[in-house]
Amino acid sequence: MNFKNIGYFFKEALISLSRNRVLSLATITTMAVCILFLGVAVLLTVNAGNFMNQLESDIQIIAYLDDSLTKPQLGEVEANIKATAGVQEVTFVSKDEALQRLQSKFSEEDYDLQQTLGKNPLPNSYEVKAVNPQEVAQVAQLIGEIPGVYKVNYGQGVVEKLFQVTKWVRILSMVFMIILALGAIFLIATTIRLAIFARRKEIYLMKLIGATDWFVRWPFFIEGILMGVAGALVAIGLLAGGYTSLINNAQTALFFVPLVSQQSFLLQVYLSLAAAGVLLGTVGTYISLNRFLNV
Amino acid sequence: MLVQFYNVTKVYRNGVKALNDVSLKIDRGEFIFLMGPSGAGKSTFIKMLFREEVPTQGQIFISSRSIVRMKRSEVPHLRRSMGVVFQDFKLLENKTVAENIAFAMKVVGAGNREIAARTSDVINLVGLKGKENSFPGQLSGGEQQRVGIARAIANRPLLLIADEPSGNLDMATADEIMELLYNINRKGTTVVMATHARELVKKGGKRIITLEAGRVVSDMCALEQQ
Repeated sequence: MNFKNIGYFFKEALISLSRNRVLSLATITTMAVCILFLGVAVLLTVNAGNFMNQLESDIQIIAYLDDSLTKPQLGEVEANIKATAGVQEVTFVSKDEALQRLQSKFSEEDYDLQQTLGKNPLPNSYEVKAVNPQEVAQVAQLIGEIPGVYKVNYGQGVVEKLFQVTKWVRILSMVFMIILALGAIFLIATTIRLAIFARRKEIYLMKLIGATDWFVRWPFFIEGILMGVAGALVAIGLLAGGYTSLINNAQTALFFVPLVSQQSFLLQVYLSLAAAGVLLGTVGTYISLNRFLNV
Repeated sequence: MLVQFYNVTKVYRNGVKALNDVSLKIDRGEFIFLMGPSGAGKSTFIKMLFREEVPTQGQIFISSRSIVRMKRSEVPHLRRSMGVVFQDFKLLENKTVAENIAFAMKVVGAGNREIAARTSDVINLVGLKGKENSFPGQLSGGEQQRVGIARAIANRPLLLIADEPSGNLDMATADEIMELLYNINRKGTTVVMATHARELVKKGGKRIITLEAGRVVSDMCALEQQ
């Protein structure tokens, strides 16, 4: 790019934007809608992923212990569990604690479990978290082989189904986002093509006079990028407003779905969307323009 | 020698043979009329000069350089040595007379001071002094074509190509435009002009190349023809 022309390129881009106001506005609106959808898709994907991570990290293995174990034997079992490959965290739950937890699920006036049952039938147990939730079945099997552990429970059957679901949610949201991005590029390229088509005579003339391709391209790129940024700003404004009020209002109604709300992360999402605006404007212009440069 | 065509044939993708084995030479400083009925290949010939089209077979040299083998990135430089005048003027409607001419110079990277000086020179040359700030829509057909010519010569081309420059103008205005082109030619610029208008050609006494069905059927001086 010849630097003495930068001023000229910007001037041309701004003149063209204001001269073709209706078309510029149409393009900016199209971009805003596309980027808004893209942003919604990103936030949905991120939140779905977050929700899936949380579901997966809730998975734990409970190792029930023989009632006959002495205190030193309990320590030995704990050491063995901790030494098992893939174990992240081990928590001891005594039989008294287990009974208390069960009691808390009933109201104390209706049922006093201690009294009803006579003696505490619940065993001591270890709650174990796996480093990688996907490996929970293998880890559970290894723990089950440790002497002193008489039974292992990790939600067999349910866990496998959950992993199926999380896998598909992740794949589908990625596919959804890619389709949306391609659709946005196509839509934007079409809108920009309209704007360029209206100026094909000028482009033809520039080429015949001896303009290089880049001399013709720059004002259009600047125009495309400006429109992309404008569209992105509108979209980000709407998205940020909408998502913030969603966090504030729906947190209580949808308490079981943890919404991602770290400011630094959201800022990253919004900046990426602005970058997407620039990219869409550039790619859209590039695709549309090349056909008219072949003179 | 400015332009050389060697056995140039052009077949378009739809199968139409627009030029058929055309060979000719054009010297520096010549004024050439390109004649022939519609569809004879005049437009294709002209488009090949500024490399909007390339031959299917044969070679074209301009200033001893093959423009057939020329890289795409070199084409802008070729075109900067030429000026093109169109039948429909092809002025930018939203730019004034002066801006239309300045635009052509800006495109090839001229500086602002040079543009201002040269623009005023060529406006005087084509007789449009006082109309610098008019828009094309405010001018008559003849005046618009003068702007087209001013734009074409702004970059001091070696070769001026005019495609039916008087096709849309009445006889008196056409004569004025021709006078302007002869004037430019007298100052050393080679001119190639495609036209239907026999009257203009006869008066000119210049070299006439006649195309028919893509072939050169005659190449002679106007006086010989009479």
